[in-house]
Amino acid sequence: MIEASVHRIRLPRGTAVRVRVGAEIRPDEVIGLRRGAMSPVRVPLTQALQRQPDEVEQLATVRPGERVEADQTLAVVEGHGSVVAPLAGLVLSLSRRDGTLLLAPLGAEEPVIGHVRGKVRAIEEGSLLVEVPAARLRGVGGSGEAVHGELVVGVGSPADELRAGAIDTGATGRILVGGSRASAESLTRARAMGVAGIVLGGILDKELRDFEAIQRRRARAGGPSGAFGILLVEGFGKVGIDPQLFSWFRTHAGRVASLFGADSLLYVYDAAPLPKRRSLARVGDSVIAHKRPFQGRGGVLVALLDQLHATHSGIPSRMGLVRFEDGRLAPVPLANLEATILADRR
Amino acid sequence: MTVEAQGTGARRAVSELSLLVDIGSAWTKACVVGRSEGRWRIAAHAAQPTAWEEEELLATLAARLAGGVDPRIAGRVAAQLADAPRIAVHTPARPGRMALAAVSSELSGAAARRAAEAAGWVVVEQVTADDGRPVAERLAALQVAEADAWLISGGFDAEGGDGALEMAGLVAAARGGGRSPVVWAGSASLTERVSAFFAPGVVRSVANPRPSADRENEIPLRRFLDALIERLVERGSARQLAPIGFGRAVAELARASRLRVVGVDLGARYATWASADDRGIAESRVVASGGLASPSLTAPGGPSQVAHTLPMPIDELAVADTLQNLRARPGSVPQTDDELAVVQAAARVLLAELASDGDDSDGIDLLIGSGRTIAAAPSPAQSMQMLLDGIRPIGVVQLAVDPGAALGPLGALRDDEIVEGLGVLRDDLLAPLGAAVVCRGGRPGHLSMRVTVHRVGWPSVGPIDVRPGELEVVALPRGQVAELEIELDPAVSLGAPRRARHMHATVHGGAVGLVLDARDAPLILPRRNDDRRAVLTAWRDAFIRERRLPAAEAVS
Repeated sequence: MIEASVHRIRLPRGTAVRVRVGAEIRPDEVIGLRRGAMSPVRVPLTQALQRQPDEVEQLATVRPGERVEADQTLAVVEGHGSVVAPLAGLVLSLSRRDGTLLLAPLGAEEPVIGHVRGKVRAIEEGSLLVEVPAARLRGVGGSGEAVHGELVVGVGSPADELRAGAIDTGATGRILVGGSRASAESLTRARAMGVAGIVLGGILDKELRDFEAIQRRRARAGGPSGAFGILLVEGFGKVGIDPQLFSWFRTHAGRVASLFGADSLLYVYDAAPLPKRRSLARVGDSVIAHKRPFQGRGGVLVALLDQLHATHSGIPSRMGLVRFEDGRLAPVPLANLEATILADRR
Repeated sequence: MTVEAQGTGARRAVSELSLLVDIGSAWTKACVVGRSEGRWRIAAHAAQPTAWEEEELLATLAARLAGGVDPRIAGRVAAQLADAPRIAVHTPARPGRMALAAVSSELSGAAARRAAEAAGWVVVEQVTADDGRPVAERLAALQVAEADAWLISGGFDAEGGDGALEMAGLVAAARGGGRSPVVWAGSASLTERVSAFFAPGVVRSVANPRPSADRENEIPLRRFLDALIERLVERGSARQLAPIGFGRAVAELARASRLRVVGVDLGARYATWASADDRGIAESRVVASGGLASPSLTAPGGPSQVAHTLPMPIDELAVADTLQNLRARPGSVPQTDDELAVVQAAARVLLAELASDGDDSDGIDLLIGSGRTIAAAPSPAQSMQMLLDGIRPIGVVQLAVDPGAALGPLGALRDDEIVEGLGVLRDDLLAPLGAAVVCRGGRPGHLSMRVTVHRVGWPSVGPIDVRPGELEVVALPRGQVAELEIELDPAVSLGAPRRARHMHATVHGGAVGLVLDARDAPLILPRRNDDRRAVLTAWRDAFIRERRLPAAEAVS
């Protein structure tokens, strides 16, 4: 069964929407056009009309915030002439000091792409609601822009690190499923290879920040401008992907997915339901631990302990006994566990 | 629980229970209030991640009550809890999002931002004329901001200023119509001109939070934004919001006890600072992103600030990952010592930020800590240390925690009911930690204070000498009252306007006792890592080691 989710596409202000409610859209479809503002220019008003600067507000026929077209009248003095806009733009201010108008010219039309496939359900102020026929995975963190591409699994096991050497041109334009970690070097190489996005179990906060800083510097220096997104599904640090989720990714390699790094979201189209997570695990459930020393490890909850027990840190908690996949049996606070449930067991 | 007579002569057990519930963004806390021997008491409390089902919480509460209830109703407790009347508060579903444009980041921008954040808004974008960005970049940033409302500030009242008009024009251009309100909190002389940039009715004008270079006046803006967030984001009864209920309960506690009370509630997302004077006149600040999942902790510089206050050598990178995991999964429990240390250090940093915005120059008589990290710390000494290290309440202060998170729900009652609710539960509501004498200043090589503790029916203790940078903990159990005789160094202050060298104070004991704290405010730490950790370790150990009477000779 294919799940459907409703996704909200945020539209930058000033976007002219080009699709209608009910329309089917593709991930690469242009859903609107927008003209961004460029460096503003000062348009002399009072000088051209031979008036005093402090009269600018009385002479102006437009007010700050208005959008004007090229050759539109900006100021007029009956019988003495007028000043017209040299180009289309947004009026930012009128200065009584020098009698000028500050105009931010509008750049060329830029396409707005939604990066999702689905049916437009509603058009609201500043956003578009789209019904997406996809399995939806919400991560715990992420970074970067919205991207889409084919899913490809880049590591052999969920606990493996995604090494820079393992990323080649075969991953160009795709969303790569890594393992427990990727270094800033691996991320930089992935971006350089044209990878659209990366899904990871964990990442070191420092490495993510380093990578983001490198990207900002490159953008300022006019480096590669292709979009790139990162999604984190388990936690920060070196954290393996839940084995059931990893196996689901393997099954769905080759499917098209949309990744929204800043929103920590991934849609995989025409996919079987994802293994579900339940916050309160029951005896017999497959579980994943979220805190050190067991962060990212899977196992089975074999018993619940009666009454409260202190964790190593001394906090009294409700505890469960977990048999981890490496055979170790350990008490873990229930609040630090999530049950992972396969679709056919729900 | 009461027992009622039945016609047959047999007696039927009937319980009188109600629940106080605080549904937080990460944890739900609940107290069972029941009548015992004619008095209403908090009979049990429990907490669980908010994502868990309610039945689980009721089952936990029932299990905690099991040993104490009449055996005739023991099997029905869970069902009775499910049917019990409840008073519930909740954390706002989402914070209000504000885009801010101001002339100066240090003056108008800082004042407006503080007012917005104290009213529970999250500033999603801030542009100022001095932020170093080109105008086009500022405009682009405002155009993509997802904001529920816009705030413009700048220009002194007497002067006006083109800068403020330019920022208003930028907002008008970026906003491009729509329904979101625009708040003008700048020079009063520019109100009409700014309003003309927008459609009629869009702009609401509020008093300038920075009316002149040397004066701040954030209160009117904060109150206006308080009301706006309630209307735009949280429609319905504001009393049911946990930060509001908490503030109301603190105000009533202050009024009833005739004390100056400060309550701090540090949650996963929200931090609330409620202060009230002895007449019950209260001021609250609600910081929507001031909790332990706060982005400020994970922003550049945040992990290093937290790592700086740790007594053990934990790598800054590990601190950063721990803070990120705390943000990502705020409903989890710190499982290792290191993780707990990072969480408590983060709490101290957040409390210090919260306290730095407040003006409690009159001093605090009672400081109450709420929220799981403070009120459910593994030991009362850790709660005490978080409050003292973070807030640095100068003077003689009583400290307590709200272990069942009952203050928020009680504050959701009507005014007359709050009085009754706090009155009947007064013995159970707060868990006293003890008292502290916290001083500011001090001279190396001199005593900061010399304190003698007189206890009724016991030999007096002291005098206890406390040097700059030191703290001493004296055993003073709950229920015990002590008279303190305090002699201060001339360079030391307890916050009183007059620098008296000899003082007397009455304090009440608690789980930790009496803390004599001469560590200055704010805390001054050595710069070298090893030295700093040694000092922090000594302070931590002073709080947690078994309390002993000082070696000084007892004065009988």
